[in-house]
Amino acid sequence: MEASQSPTVDRQILNPESNANSIASVGPLWPTVDGPLGLSEADAVTYARRFYKFGFALLPWLWAINCFYFWPVLRHRRSFPQIRRYVLGSAIGLTAFTILLCSWALTFAIGGESLFGTSWNQLVMYNLADKWGLTGWN
Amino acid sequence: MAQRQRPRCSLLDSLGEEIVRIVTPVSICMLLVVILVSVLNSSSSSSTSVTTIATIAYSETDSDSSWDKFVGALLNSLVFVAVVTVVTFVLVLLFYLRCTKFLKFYMGFSAFIVLGFMGGQVSLFLIQDYSIPIDCITFFLVLFNFAVVGVLAVFMSKMAIFVTQGYLVVIGMLVAYWFTMLPEWTTWVMLVAMALYDLAAVLLPVGPLRLLVELAISRDEDIPALVYEARPVTDHDSGVSSGNQRRVWRERSGSAALNEPENSTDEPNPNPGRVSVSNVETELSAPLIEHRMNIDSQETRGEDDAPGENLALEGIGLGSTGAIKLGLGDFIFYSVLVGRAAMYDFMTVYACYLAIIAGLGVTLVLLAFYRRALPALPVSILLGVLFYVLTRFVLEIFIVQLSSNLLMF
Repeated sequence: MEASQSPTVDRQILNPESNANSIASVGPLWPTVDGPLGLSEADAVTYARRFYKFGFALLPWLWAINCFYFWPVLRHRRSFPQIRRYVLGSAIGLTAFTILLCSWALTFAIGGESLFGTSWNQLVMYNLADKWGLTGWN
Repeated sequence: MAQRQRPRCSLLDSLGEEIVRIVTPVSICMLLVVILVSVLNSSSSSSTSVTTIATIAYSETDSDSSWDKFVGALLNSLVFVAVVTVVTFVLVLLFYLRCTKFLKFYMGFSAFIVLGFMGGQVSLFLIQDYSIPIDCITFFLVLFNFAVVGVLAVFMSKMAIFVTQGYLVVIGMLVAYWFTMLPEWTTWVMLVAMALYDLAAVLLPVGPLRLLVELAISRDEDIPALVYEARPVTDHDSGVSSGNQRRVWRERSGSAALNEPENSTDEPNPNPGRVSVSNVETELSAPLIEHRMNIDSQETRGEDDAPGENLALEGIGLGSTGAIKLGLGDFIFYSVLVGRAAMYDFMTVYACYLAIIAGLGVTLVLLAFYRRALPALPVSILLGVLFYVLTRFVLEIFIVQLSSNLLMF
């Protein structure tokens, strides 16, 4: 009894995911974070692809939503390979964009006038809001 | 021997869960508006009143007597309610003529305006007040992202539930904050007027909202509108039932959601002319109108279940497969009430919050009882206004005296 069980135990220890996969046969059942209320797998591919492509229009937040929505796909490797391509692409794009944006914003905020000179005052938002009268509630 | 599984959730559990799932976003919206009001109004003067449809008849000034202010506020409210009625009838007409695409486009457009321009203005207020050194490129990029994804969340029915709900709460918060900028008397009288209008529009046979709901029921369609849907409480027994529980409650009729009639080609706010303001106002009143509160209980399970079975299993109607829907207008008006209370003191905020939640509870109980679209504004707003008046004029004096004499608290 024990002898026959130990290989299984070894396999379980070595490959917990494949074991889970073999048990559930596909890993997670639903590709979206909403579970049974979310998309079916076929629809999910279309949506993941659409989010990924639209994200290129300077929309890293859309990439972030994509990663959040298809979190089970990201978390379990080897599940939903078609969806995973797009979600991984979104995650990479999101990281790259965020690093770029954060570095620019932090440089601007911390560097201040000493780094930029007078153009800092021309770029900072509260001055521009005053100049263009954006906050006049009319 | 095969045993029938007993439900692990009692009726109380599922009922409590349903109520919590609708009270939580309402509370979050109110909390955000209170925070915005107290943070932004303490630093700047709140005497700038917006010229909008809601103040077209009378602009309140500090020097008028109370009676003048009251009459002026009454006029303003009547004009506002009239505009709302007309716009809602236009909406019913459009829905009757099956202009669903136009309505959805309108919905997306107004969501973009609210998130982009109003969200932008509120953030600019915050940036100016706290001198946050953010540059214009980052600001516009973030705002653009936020607005576009919000429009997608509102437009597409298949976005993540959490994201859609979050954006609806944010839209409600922004519109409610904007409404707190109205003069005081106008706000209070308008709230009462809208509560009465809601009562009439939903319950009277000629009311536009009732017509809308009946049209939707007869066609078995979903009204394209900004409506907050709580996640359905799944019965642990049925678990992952047959196939995809694809948010079927959306397709069910009887969803009393308001649509947004939109008629303005709205101008963005950078243009401080009067015209743009009134346009924005129309636009915003549309969401308000639309978001009439019709709380509806959706009793749908899978598409293949017979309706009879559903009802048999449903019990009191707030069943485990139903999802409560609350129109965004309800969110907005509750938050306006609490925001206005916050402009006086926090004591009124607590009192009004409790009153509104109690009113919401009463409405949910009535919903379970009557099982049809009900107006969610009247009970809560009337209780809220009553509690505000009592707290401000009676309770505060009492508590202040007790505290300053160290008798209590």
